[in-house]
Amino acid sequence: MKLPEEIVSLLKIKEINDTAVYLATSSLDGDINLMPSPYTDIYLDEYILIPDLFAQKTKINLNENRQGLISIVLPTSNKNVTIEGSCNIIQWGHPAKFRFYDLTAGDVLEHWGNWTGKENILDDDNLAKPEVFAQRGVIIIKAEKIIYN
Amino acid sequence: MTKLTPRQKNWLEGTGAHIGTASKNGNPTVIVVDKATVINESTVKFILSAKQVQLVEKNISENPRASLGPGGIGSIRAAYQFKGKASIVGNELFVEVNEIYSTKPGPEAGLRLDNLDYNDVLKFESSRWADDGPPR
Repeated sequence: MKLPEEIVSLLKIKEINDTAVYLATSSLDGDINLMPSPYTDIYLDEYILIPDLFAQKTKINLNENRQGLISIVLPTSNKNVTIEGSCNIIQWGHPAKFRFYDLTAGDVLEHWGNWTGKENILDDDNLAKPEVFAQRGVIIIKAEKIIYN
Repeated sequence: MTKLTPRQKNWLEGTGAHIGTASKNGNPTVIVVDKATVINESTVKFILSAKQVQLVEKNISENPRASLGPGGIGSIRAAYQFKGKASIVGNELFVEVNEIYSTKPGPEAGLRLDNLDYNDVLKFESSRWADDGPPR
């Protein structure tokens, strides 16, 4: 499903001051995990992309349960919005033709595999930026359900 | 027993949290509550709206595990994940924290903090952050 324009605008790559999101994933027996990320982008108004910066528990969960949920707070209304859908990690080593819905691993890694080439991640106080921006891959969530809480 | 540090307590109380729960089959749900009260060394209390109670009570009844991520700017500046056992009494949600992780992106992501000596956690925090909570 297409995301509303307000959410697309919030989550698309900007110069800086991106909206931070939490990505929730869970093991199949319900061990929930929340991963924060200040870095997001949108593709086709439907896919949310996040760089994988050592998201080890997220990867373990997604290896057995390919569901993800993005939680954000809208700055205009202070409302919480959650976006749920199928979720996967594309990593260096995936065959270029590996497909996740409308995306192939080759395209994902070419366009989002080096996040610092796409986004200015300046952070003078080093509050968000890792000491070394070592990206392992790209996490993708396909928007399938939106809930305004 | 897990003991929250003053910095962790101040961020949770100052910015509230994104609260994750999941069904027993691993279907996640997240709500956001913008205020919290730390009522003892390891338990955090949230006041929920009726809709929020409805969203999480079934999950908690079948799977009491919950995860907390600090809200607002705390999601970035207070890079912690708190995991614990959730219970609901009326419209009050209690989470007894028994695991604490660093969520700072990079090699320290996922580092478990609650099994370190308490003074080592304080040293870990003071070596990485200059604040003791959200801006007042």
